[in-house]
Amino acid sequence: MSKISRRKFVETTGTGLVVATSVPLAVQEATAQEGSAQQPVAAPTPVVVPRTPVRLTINGTEHRLPVEDRWTLVEVLRDHLGLTGTKIGCDRGECGACTVLLDGKPVYSCSQLAVWADGRKIQTVEGLARNEHLHPLQEAFIEHDGPQCGYCTSGQLMSAKALLDHNPHPTMEEVRAAMTGNICRCSNYNRYVEAVLAASASEAVGRTA
Amino acid sequence: MIALKTVGHPASRIDALQRVTGRATYTGDLHLPGMLYARVLRSPHPHARIVRIDVSKALALPGVKAILTHENCDVVWGSGDMRNKRYLFNNPVRFAGDAVAAVAAVDRHLAEDAMRLIDVQYEVLPFVLDPEEALKPGAVEIQPGGNLSADNKGEHKPETYRHGDLEKGLREADQVFEDHYSSAHINNAQLEIRVSTAEWAGDKLTVYAATQGISMCRIEIARDLKLPLENVRVVCKYMGGGFGNKNQCQDSDLMAAMLAKKAGAPVKLEFTRKEDFIAVHGRWPTKQYYKVGVKRDGTLTAIQFRGYSGMGPYRKSSGDIAGVELYQCPNVEKLVYPVLTNMAVSANLRGPAYPQGIFGIESLMDHIAYELKMDPIDFRLKNMTRKYHDELPYTSFGLEDCVLRGAEAFEWKKRWHPPGEGDGPVKRGVGMAMGAFGAAIGRSSAVIHLDGRGQYELHVGVTDVGTAAKTTMALIAAEELGVPLAKVSVVSGDTEVCPYSVGESGSRTTTHTGYAVIQAVKDLKQQIADKGLPQGDEIRTGSATPDPATPKDTARYSFAAHFAEVEVDTELGHARVVKYLAAHDSGRIINPLTCASQVKGGSTMGIGMALHEELLYDAAHGLPLTAGYYGARVMTHLDTPEIGVQFVETEDQYGPFGAKSIGESSIIPSVGAIANAIFNATGRRVKDLPINREKLLEVLA
Repeated sequence: MSKISRRKFVETTGTGLVVATSVPLAVQEATAQEGSAQQPVAAPTPVVVPRTPVRLTINGTEHRLPVEDRWTLVEVLRDHLGLTGTKIGCDRGECGACTVLLDGKPVYSCSQLAVWADGRKIQTVEGLARNEHLHPLQEAFIEHDGPQCGYCTSGQLMSAKALLDHNPHPTMEEVRAAMTGNICRCSNYNRYVEAVLAASASEAVGRTA
Repeated sequence: MIALKTVGHPASRIDALQRVTGRATYTGDLHLPGMLYARVLRSPHPHARIVRIDVSKALALPGVKAILTHENCDVVWGSGDMRNKRYLFNNPVRFAGDAVAAVAAVDRHLAEDAMRLIDVQYEVLPFVLDPEEALKPGAVEIQPGGNLSADNKGEHKPETYRHGDLEKGLREADQVFEDHYSSAHINNAQLEIRVSTAEWAGDKLTVYAATQGISMCRIEIARDLKLPLENVRVVCKYMGGGFGNKNQCQDSDLMAAMLAKKAGAPVKLEFTRKEDFIAVHGRWPTKQYYKVGVKRDGTLTAIQFRGYSGMGPYRKSSGDIAGVELYQCPNVEKLVYPVLTNMAVSANLRGPAYPQGIFGIESLMDHIAYELKMDPIDFRLKNMTRKYHDELPYTSFGLEDCVLRGAEAFEWKKRWHPPGEGDGPVKRGVGMAMGAFGAAIGRSSAVIHLDGRGQYELHVGVTDVGTAAKTTMALIAAEELGVPLAKVSVVSGDTEVCPYSVGESGSRTTTHTGYAVIQAVKDLKQQIADKGLPQGDEIRTGSATPDPATPKDTARYSFAAHFAEVEVDTELGHARVVKYLAAHDSGRIINPLTCASQVKGGSTMGIGMALHEELLYDAAHGLPLTAGYYGARVMTHLDTPEIGVQFVETEDQYGPFGAKSIGESSIIPSVGAIANAIFNATGRRVKDLPINREKLLEVLA
């Protein structure tokens, strides 16, 4: 059944499994194997972190701001632009809660540096509805009880949007494969797949791409 | 069963719009002016004494506002250990991940930078990971008094249950079966990272927590920080899952509060995903030893069970291993040893004591049926519990119907074949298992207002962990009021404006708080009868804090039977589920849509537990190796089969409209059903969870 493994999916989304800066290094170090009884002390940290001005077009609106080179895209969205609909579930490219569309492609925004997004178009869950008209996927997620706790929902929606944008009438297997990088620990996968298939069958879906 | 107007009909969640538009405000979405960010430094050793800790370099970093360690913070986290004193920061540290320090700084990155400047000198101590090893003479003592955790009386004895005469039962048996099973530590792995934001106004504290119960969270924060209850407010408007690891108050809540106090500013404390995996808690790993006596006709005469649960170094919950009580047997002895180890802490995860225990007993019973040449269904129909512990009648009993109707819908007779039959290399097989989970009724509260416009506002202290509790409460109110659902709005998730509610643990919200909603509505109706409908800016309010109980000589339970068909590639050792049916007796179903979602989710989680989930440890160094979604191998879209759901609605005279429980019973039989299906497919049995590729190939070799 699985033509695309999760590892493969993660690789092909261009995010990889290694997060450039946002992995909590101290914890990694703290739990790494160590023979000595003493912890190494890091060198003094520079107080001034370089910033780079970037231009991000988010949900159709242009934002210009200077970002620290170590900031991830999700960090900028959530902490600096107030777009908290995109969630952080792992901050290490494993769960998909932070999925956004970057120039139309689904990416893990925890695994993208904000500077890499300079000059590019980003779509988040906040940009799905148009003038209070819900996207057919949002309607279907409500009707088919997609969100349980709802924390993975934004990411599920964005992956589903990317799928329907280039494949408006996917099979069940195609839905599962396209969304397998989005973990739902409530494990409401049946409902999400039902909802995406229902949305793909609705007439409106072709008009929202 | 009499059909009702609102209850019993599928209803979308009343807050679904917020959840699909990104407008739902989870705890981590909150940003307070002047807020600091905090991170926690953790032990790299499974057991060590902190000889010296120097935070001076970290404190000297501009922007670092507060650091807590065991030297300047002696707060005891009450719910962190039922038996021993567990501080927020312990010395010695007792597992790889035990908190050593917490740092608050003006931004997240700076807090991490500062953490790396903390100099800790450890004296490394011996450690033990395995619960049976931990009980051996000479094992390192993890807590004073020994590694067998004390019972309620403070005695270091196993938890014991006995009835009948075990020896007599074993003598009467025609055949005695002995076997052992074991299960791994797995993590709750809820998607929402752990966040607590604390803010002080004078001596009043507000904690924005990610909690499964605002009331208990508040009570425990007040207790642990020695504050009057009225000085503590807990808010959790939307909650991103917990499955038992966000019950009560968490150490993160207390750390955030102490940091905020020290820094004089609001503090948002975040745990990373890795910290959530190693430093909070997961399901307790078990070792299970069974001895079962049986007559030639399949009648059980004796069940002896001895189990060991690895609790980690702090005992947060019971460590019980359930399952034996599923069977009617006159002679039973059950001993469970909750043992302290230097692994990650173990505590509640959806049906805490159940799926691993059910895996053991249902594997063995399946094996006995096979040896006696009985159909597994017939064996269970003959021996299933019909009274709780052979003694107390159930208030309603749907287990037999779950088995019978589930088997029929699943086409069991058509699909079952003698174990191992077929040429392969890909073999199919079916399995089933039963489950039961408490559906107690008890104390909770609700308040409901009616305004002059005819709109009802229900105040309940739920957070809705994903179960659709808010919607369930609204449906119950609408039904009792006889008004459409749209007339009822729900205020939840804030102790300032919500009355006490039992926490969203133990699958109790519907039965406890749902019942309180009915009583509050009755009170409101009385107000209206006395004073008339409110006019203009008038308001009528009904409230209730009922404390209902079932009669002493009864037991109230939900029941389930799950059926699975698997395909095993005997060359690759790969198992996948191709068909699944879950039959559930949860009394009256309040909302069939969201209730079925619970069953689908729980069953799916159980498949992951059965086939691949595990927090692996490096035994040589005592360190966790698979602390993340990828390593722990939780279920994904591609792993998940279609889960069929069948409700067997029994009439029960207690609880709101006869509703019982669902959230936890949904995962309970799943692991056993998968294990038995693999046996049916291959004729071989893996007795250690998870039943992964490596173990399958080993038994198939």
